[in-house]
Amino acid sequence: MSDGLKRRDFLKVLGVSGAGASIAGCSTQEVERLIPYVVPPEDITPGVATWYASVCQECSAGCGIRVRTREGRAVMIEGNPEHPVSAGGVCSRGVSALQSLYDPDRVATPMRMGQSGLEGTTWDEAMQALVGGLQGAANPLFITGILGPTEELLVNQFVAALGGRRVVFDPLYDTALREATRIAFGVDALPHYDLANSGLVVSFGADFLETWGSPVAMGRQFAHMHGVDHGEKGRFVFLGSRLSLTGQNADEWIPIPPGSEAAVALGMAAHLVQAGADAGPYADLLSAHSAESAAQAAGTEATAIAALANDLASVPSIVLGPGLAGSHRGAAAANLAVLVLNAVAGNVGQTVRIQQTQTPTGGGFGSLLEAIRSMSGGSHGAVVVAGTNPAYAAPAGAGFAEAFQSVGFKVAFASALDETSAMADLVLPASHPLESWTDSMPRPGVYAVGQPAMRPVPHSDSRPMADVLLQAGAQLGQDYGGATSFRDFLSQANAAWLAANGARVGLTGDPAARWRELLRTGAVSYDDPPPEVSSLQPSATALSFDSPAVDGAGDLTLLVYPSSRFGDGTQANRPWLQELPDPVSKLMWHSWVEIHPDTAESLGLRTGDVVRLTTDHGEVEAPAWVYPGIRPDVVAIAMGGGHTAYGRFANGNGVNPMVLLPPVQDDASGAMALVSTRATLTPTGAWRRVATTEGSSDQDQRNIAPAVALAALGHAAEEEAGHHEQLQELQEIGGFKPSETEGRAEDYPLPGAEYGDYTRDQPRWAMSIDLDKCTGCSACVTACQAENNVPWVGENQILMGRDMHWMRIERYYEAVDATHAGTVDIRFLPMLCQHCNNAPCEPVCPVFAAYHTPDGLNGQAYNRCVGTRYCANNCPYKVRVFNWYSYTDLIPEPMTWQFNPDVTVRENGVMEKCSFCVQRIRDAGNRASVEGRDIRDGEVRPACQNSCPTGAIVFGNVRDTSSAVAGLVGDERTYRVLDELINTQPAVHYMKKVTHHEVDSGEH
Amino acid sequence: MATAESELRRRGALPHPDVGKYSDVNRDVLKVLSRPGKGWWILFSIALAGVGIFFLSWFTQIVRGIGVSGLNAPVGWGVYITTFVFWVGIAHSGTLISAILFLFRAPWRQSIYRAAEAMTVFAVMTAGLFPLIHVGRVWHAYWLVPYPNSRFLWPNFRSPLVWDVFAVTTYFTVSAVFFYLGTIPDLAAARDQARGLRKKFYQVTALGWRGTDREWHHFSKAYIYLAALATPLVLSVHSVVSWDFAMSIVPGWHTTIFAPYFVAGAIFSGVAMVITLAVPMRKFFGLEAYLTVKHFEAMAKLCLLTATIVLYAYLTEYFLAWYSGEPPERGSFWNRAFGSYWWANWIMLTCNGLVPLMLWFKRVRRSIAALFVISIFINIGMWFERFVIIVTSLSHEYEPWAWGLYRPSVVEMGILLGSFCWFGFWFLLFTRLLPPVAIAEMKEVIPPPMRGVKEAS
Repeated sequence: MSDGLKRRDFLKVLGVSGAGASIAGCSTQEVERLIPYVVPPEDITPGVATWYASVCQECSAGCGIRVRTREGRAVMIEGNPEHPVSAGGVCSRGVSALQSLYDPDRVATPMRMGQSGLEGTTWDEAMQALVGGLQGAANPLFITGILGPTEELLVNQFVAALGGRRVVFDPLYDTALREATRIAFGVDALPHYDLANSGLVVSFGADFLETWGSPVAMGRQFAHMHGVDHGEKGRFVFLGSRLSLTGQNADEWIPIPPGSEAAVALGMAAHLVQAGADAGPYADLLSAHSAESAAQAAGTEATAIAALANDLASVPSIVLGPGLAGSHRGAAAANLAVLVLNAVAGNVGQTVRIQQTQTPTGGGFGSLLEAIRSMSGGSHGAVVVAGTNPAYAAPAGAGFAEAFQSVGFKVAFASALDETSAMADLVLPASHPLESWTDSMPRPGVYAVGQPAMRPVPHSDSRPMADVLLQAGAQLGQDYGGATSFRDFLSQANAAWLAANGARVGLTGDPAARWRELLRTGAVSYDDPPPEVSSLQPSATALSFDSPAVDGAGDLTLLVYPSSRFGDGTQANRPWLQELPDPVSKLMWHSWVEIHPDTAESLGLRTGDVVRLTTDHGEVEAPAWVYPGIRPDVVAIAMGGGHTAYGRFANGNGVNPMVLLPPVQDDASGAMALVSTRATLTPTGAWRRVATTEGSSDQDQRNIAPAVALAALGHAAEEEAGHHEQLQELQEIGGFKPSETEGRAEDYPLPGAEYGDYTRDQPRWAMSIDLDKCTGCSACVTACQAENNVPWVGENQILMGRDMHWMRIERYYEAVDATHAGTVDIRFLPMLCQHCNNAPCEPVCPVFAAYHTPDGLNGQAYNRCVGTRYCANNCPYKVRVFNWYSYTDLIPEPMTWQFNPDVTVRENGVMEKCSFCVQRIRDAGNRASVEGRDIRDGEVRPACQNSCPTGAIVFGNVRDTSSAVAGLVGDERTYRVLDELINTQPAVHYMKKVTHHEVDSGEH
Repeated sequence: MATAESELRRRGALPHPDVGKYSDVNRDVLKVLSRPGKGWWILFSIALAGVGIFFLSWFTQIVRGIGVSGLNAPVGWGVYITTFVFWVGIAHSGTLISAILFLFRAPWRQSIYRAAEAMTVFAVMTAGLFPLIHVGRVWHAYWLVPYPNSRFLWPNFRSPLVWDVFAVTTYFTVSAVFFYLGTIPDLAAARDQARGLRKKFYQVTALGWRGTDREWHHFSKAYIYLAALATPLVLSVHSVVSWDFAMSIVPGWHTTIFAPYFVAGAIFSGVAMVITLAVPMRKFFGLEAYLTVKHFEAMAKLCLLTATIVLYAYLTEYFLAWYSGEPPERGSFWNRAFGSYWWANWIMLTCNGLVPLMLWFKRVRRSIAALFVISIFINIGMWFERFVIIVTSLSHEYEPWAWGLYRPSVVEMGILLGSFCWFGFWFLLFTRLLPPVAIAEMKEVIPPPMRGVKEAS
């Protein structure tokens, strides 16, 4: 019995493997019951999307959104075309709200500060703690962000009943403009701008396409003003010390030094007054100014200033205030100067509307500073923070953290922990905006209700803040008309208004039906304009229009600007945005310091050299990024980086420039002064590769993004035809049938396409992209990523050159000069799969993973792909991206809930690319065939088109002569990238940018 | 006869003046198959370790993803395809020497062709792994093979990669059969001397060869037919490999001269590799009498010829890029010479274009040491030639925005070095198991033993 398995060994093996199996099988969780989908919830049809109209709450613009849900999960955010403000557009930040909804770092349960930091607790205990803490507290302080009107009403009532105080802090709110409007017109509201009806827009640094005002709405209006659809093209002049994305869209740039806005605006106004314009009570002020004084302040020629001023008066124009990035110690004065210029140029009441309306409390820095002082002084027994993050977003020197720490009872409502809520004694998981009710009044005459798009994500035991306040209010003996939830409160607050005005705004029927209709459309507008003011009032406040003080040593003025991706940093915890190439710098995942090439040369720096940026208040280290669009005496850095307690996707990426700033405000308005100090740059000697997708910003004579001068419009087509003759001549030499690539509807199917499965009676899907309308805002990139389950890859992979975006915005510099006033010509080119008719990727695939569909799409069968990457090599547009790893496996729960069930999630080792949102084409096709009809023009809208605020993208069947896209394809501006060179016959038809200046439009 | 022989010897026309008798050949060549020395074992251990690194690296890549390489967008092909083309190129000279030179009755091939053929087979075995290493989903690589399946899915016969599958597998099959056929008489010779396990091995592999007249008759016929069959493959394989590039539209790849240019390059690198391998073999195994300076000089001449063709091709590419007038084409070649990978280009030009020009001198051609050094240069240069063509062209294509750089990773370097060890592993086994010089063919060119005539001493 010495051989074989002994009984003892057998038992040992049995025991070990049995233990392993039982350990693996053991779980502290209960066995979940499986519930079949026999009786589905009423409003859910498996496989069919439900859309909910709501309000975007990523910034205070209040755009209308539609949230697409599948089986109860929100999977996509698109613009609401019925919303009067955003009219169908959305921005990257808006789309990315999905990622904060499914943020794996959301607060799971209420938490109380214990010995070892925050510890989980239950809602019952948390409510007890909240009520108990607030009850006894003296003068409780509420610090919030900008709230919707009804929620604000509730919070104000709650605070008033407690005998407390409320402070609003939103670094992106233009307090200075509001104060200037109050001074100039006596109206405590932000002006409403009508860009669409102006012929000349002058911006003193206001980034209205990115962060200032209502970027989506202004982008749409700007495209209308600046496009050539209506026969003429407006002009856009940018005056500022750095070209933001908005500035990059300008026709001309006068690179004025920071702080000179007031002097330049007043000088221009004075020039007009000299020519006979009326400046009302500001005539005295203007008498001290002139075009010459403006030119001196701007460092340019007086003739240029005078000419621009004359243009302002001669066409319907608009002058936009310095905005946030230029905000300094004299911000209200600068804004006032700009408003005076608008009034003198005759714009007020025309394109600039000053309407008396109910406006939510603005969020200035001054009130926060005051709150900090009173917190340190011990005058608050309790502090509640919600929807704002002053510990991060206020200058570190303001001492918010210390003051906050000193308060006895600190409560934070937080969806995900941030720097401020991490310090709280009680953290209450607040529901995400997509899980809560809200309403908004984005501008006078528009009212919108935001409804939750889904039940709260179960990973977080969250409750809407307003519900918690109502509940706490009830326990504290406050009265809210019996409302137990904010939904009741909201509908009660609306009931009377709807009854009185329902018919006027198109809402009829019984109250319930009106309410339903309001929720369905998401927004209503009514056009009985509130009282309007158009005449200037004398300034009751003594303001200095001199160049504001900038403290500190060094010869570079520090410019801190809100990030177009992260705002003040609120959106920094979203990997889509972290990996979205910044629209200006095209950098991802980390911060950078923008310096002019001359500055770089004098310091011996190149892009990627890590520099130490030092002010009297702090220092940061970040790689330099050499940018021709910034004045040599200015150094700029974006907000939003360097989080320390904002979740895994934000922490440690980049640096927070707020540590560099002194805690100073514009005394008149309380606006935070972002241009307030000088800085010195010291090379550290270190170098790091910057995470970018930019290969070259020079077209290198390839005419990838050509332009046509406005004057040449009308005979641009002749030149184009000449090119084709050359091509056809060449093709005939080889005995090759010349290809009609004119792109007209009647040309399809193109020669060569009549073989095989390319049938004649199928549509030919095509896209037109108007480069004259594209502002480079990159909303399409994020929308595409959300729609098509495109993973993010992280900084290291980006550094290796492996981004996964199906769509990118190429940015080519043609004319940028920061040293003197002149033309700006920066071309944006959204590049996506061109769905070539004669696609180079198709013949080289050994297994037919890249193939041509009968309706002319370049299909990509992920399951068939072996991963030879030959197709990507052979793609001249380089739009194919490869799954080097299983990137989607790295996406944590519950972010995977966002996956679009209509789109395959790709695995390691396969190639992928833009599909023209084929799932939407098939969806529309199925619907059409069920209804026994053809797909209607405009029925298929890819995610990029649907998100585009400016309407630059049009999609449709080019073989349908009546379709919108077929009309555009025949336009004289239309061209196809590289088609003349390699005869790819792309389905993406670009329309050349139109410039006011002459361009070298032919062969370079 | 003896006078004829002495006359040949006097004129220096005798291929192997130092080999006297048939029995010497058997003795000298089969001696190599005896017990290996310390040096061999050291080399073999190194090779074995390298093979371990090779498979470990590959395994890592399969488990974690192709992302462990440095490949990216736009450079989707890098060290793997470079090394693939390199080894396919190496594989060329074997068949050239054995088949083409056999058909042309070149008198100097006999002593060299066995090693060259072995090198061919092992180089194809190495090269064939690289497409598998390279693809993203190796577990689906068999989809490139046309096999009947229920879904009626066939590979895309328009894709050069499918042609590649055929070209490489055909080449491997034919050259392996040709190699084996040629060794049969020698295996029999080895069998007759071997003992024990070795004898069993040779008994099986020699297929009962007895050396009868009939056998020799069939053998010669089969050999000449296979030689004729293998000859077009020498030209076709590398032409097809070149079409992987030439059929694309990548500037720097899309050119009609690629097929002849690649074939010349392949022969160039193959002959260089034969020199690199033959010099140490000759020294360590004492085969000086068989691999004479004459043989090396002949190979050097072949190198010189192909080097000139390759240099001409380089210059033609530059000229045509300029002559095309197309910015992407011109940009690609400007980038090749002065862009981020300028060093690779200049290594290539120096090693392949300039260094071989020394072979114009007879003294260099006849110096074994110089040839060995030059052949190493050529090997390095030819690897860089493929690197330059693949990587620099991909990094700088049509879209300026999409230009990008590629840096090979540790895993890729492991696989590159491992591939040399994998090749070396087989070649070292070959030197101990198969007669490295063709015994039978050797006897065809040394003077036959004559009855009654004394051997020249």
